[in-house]
Amino acid sequence: MKTMTPFNIWKNISGSKLFFSFAALVSIFLFDLIFIPNFFAIQLRDGNLYGNVIDIMRSASTVCILAIGMTLVIATGGVDLSVGAVMAISASVAALMMNPYVMAKTLSAETQRLINDPTFTFAPFGSVIIAALVVAVICGLWNGILVAYFNIPAMVATLILMISGRGIAQLITNGIRIQIFYEPFSYIANLWLIIPLPIYIVAFMLVLTWFLTRKTAMGMFIESVGANSRSSFYSGLDEKFIKLLVYAFCGFCAGVAGLIASSNIKTSDANNIGLLLELDAILAVVIGGNMMSGGRFTLLGSVIGALVMQATKISMYNLGVPANAVMAIQGAVVLFVILFYSKQVREF
Amino acid sequence: MTKKFFTIVLILLFIVPFTAFVGCGHETRGVKCSPHCTYNDMVVGFIQTGSEGGWRTANTASFKETAQQLGINLNFYDAQNKLENQVSAFRNFIADPKVNVIILAALETTGWEDVLKEAKVAGKIVVLEDRRIDAAENLYAIYIGSDFTEEGRKAGREMITLLNDSTKKNVVELVGNVGSSAAKDRGTGFREAIDGSGIVITESQTANWSATEGKDVMAAFLKKSKDIQAVFAQNDEMGMGAALAIKEAGLKPGVDIKIITVDGTAGAFKGMIAGEINTVIECNPLLAPQVYEAALKALNGDALPKWVPSHEGVFYQKDAEAILPTRKY
Repeated sequence: MKTMTPFNIWKNISGSKLFFSFAALVSIFLFDLIFIPNFFAIQLRDGNLYGNVIDIMRSASTVCILAIGMTLVIATGGVDLSVGAVMAISASVAALMMNPYVMAKTLSAETQRLINDPTFTFAPFGSVIIAALVVAVICGLWNGILVAYFNIPAMVATLILMISGRGIAQLITNGIRIQIFYEPFSYIANLWLIIPLPIYIVAFMLVLTWFLTRKTAMGMFIESVGANSRSSFYSGLDEKFIKLLVYAFCGFCAGVAGLIASSNIKTSDANNIGLLLELDAILAVVIGGNMMSGGRFTLLGSVIGALVMQATKISMYNLGVPANAVMAIQGAVVLFVILFYSKQVREF
Repeated sequence: MTKKFFTIVLILLFIVPFTAFVGCGHETRGVKCSPHCTYNDMVVGFIQTGSEGGWRTANTASFKETAQQLGINLNFYDAQNKLENQVSAFRNFIADPKVNVIILAALETTGWEDVLKEAKVAGKIVVLEDRRIDAAENLYAIYIGSDFTEEGRKAGREMITLLNDSTKKNVVELVGNVGSSAAKDRGTGFREAIDGSGIVITESQTANWSATEGKDVMAAFLKKSKDIQAVFAQNDEMGMGAALAIKEAGLKPGVDIKIITVDGTAGAFKGMIAGEINTVIECNPLLAPQVYEAALKALNGDALPKWVPSHEGVFYQKDAEAILPTRKY
């Protein structure tokens, strides 16, 4: 029987997978508390909350959702570089379905009026969302088939869609930035129910994924595929099918993130939506304490990882850090967190 | 057997273009029609960078459509954002005896001296559009592109007029990609113009040309202080993102906080019609008419300045509705 000395408790806490990512987030907030006056000020307007902390959670929501899907992919020992491009594809599909007329070069006055009408949508709202997500899942399945059934290394297989995906998104929208005037679509990212809707979506996705992986055997299967794909196969697991499912789910997450991102700026911008976010998502997963080599994973860690990065960014905006120093400082923060995961540094 | 065959094919593949190039390189050919060339005599090789966004699409469309209207024979080449593609396309155009004008939107500023010399020997007219390069001025005919500093100055002057009646003049700046020449020069020009006007730049932060980041950065600025009278966004997207953040903070963009953006995309015009954006400084991608005209002059042996800034205007809210249908991008 273990005795609960303070040392043991400390060891339990610091040994936890979540410890370092959580400690990083807390120390950034401590820094803000000391150096930025009113950083934590929260205003109440019409019963809704506004403040920097809310902003952090809200702006991090896309990366949080990408990171949830990415965690599972990385847990199987893979990686998905295409999520940014899939975001752009899902946003483009949604925009096109709501407003196909923008493709025309010249518009009659009647269609012009229709486009600017906030209650007008070509396809009903529900089918827009479903179609965008289905297309995203198909993108994920494509990755999964290449990785699992054709044995193409994940980095190469998903790189294909990363490059071509943005091109596909541009083809869908004919290279036009489509402004979205349909009001209900903008609610996805801009509706406040005390706190903004994207935060609820992140929470929902986190709980859903946690339930699917931890309350069923799926999580264990994923970890075992990542730890040793061949021995999983010999113990009777269909490791290819599990990989396929995981990539499809990652595609689904990217689809949700794409809808949030385009709703946030009320525009479908095939060029910029999700640009480089695949890297942010991978970084969030790593900051969260997951190993790139696969195996055991923590979903909450990845979400905290995403928050750490967004908190760093918003803190810098508030501090008034000069524009050309922002990236370097962000890099330093990430390096600092990552270093703590290194065994050598920890034992030092 | 097959191996040998492949070797021969490979050797031929290397030698043939080389001889073709050497063959043309040494005979200097003047243009026959000079000095009375017309657009119909022009055979243009146009080397575009590759696709990157609305501006570039409009730029390409401008060259294609104008060529059709003027009766110019245009050979369009898309370099897919790869420098080696641009260089090899350049050499192909030099080797092509029919091509007499080469128009280049260079991906990189350096490394063009050799091909430019080859072009000069072959008697081709080289016109640079949009992107300036570091090369001796006698190697190309003319450069036509935006004057980013002047765009910044125009924005500064418009800002002074906008804030004329305001007692407080706090302006925040949304910067493009750090290090890009457009971001640097627009910032410099803006500061030059507002010098001594009482306008204070209280915040300046990069939003990487993107609407999402423009919204995030503006939201953070507004949390810090609501004492902001205007935003200078170095492109339309960031400005539109800022407008959304201002709305969320319970203020009216364009009224409580004025917004000036640079570019002049259709989205910004819609923003002006909605009253959320005050003034837009044009960064014109429709350079083709100017470029073709300059190329024709060069063909006829007229003297040209080395740099002609593209025609760019300033757009105001009151004219937005009338101008929007004419905007091509």
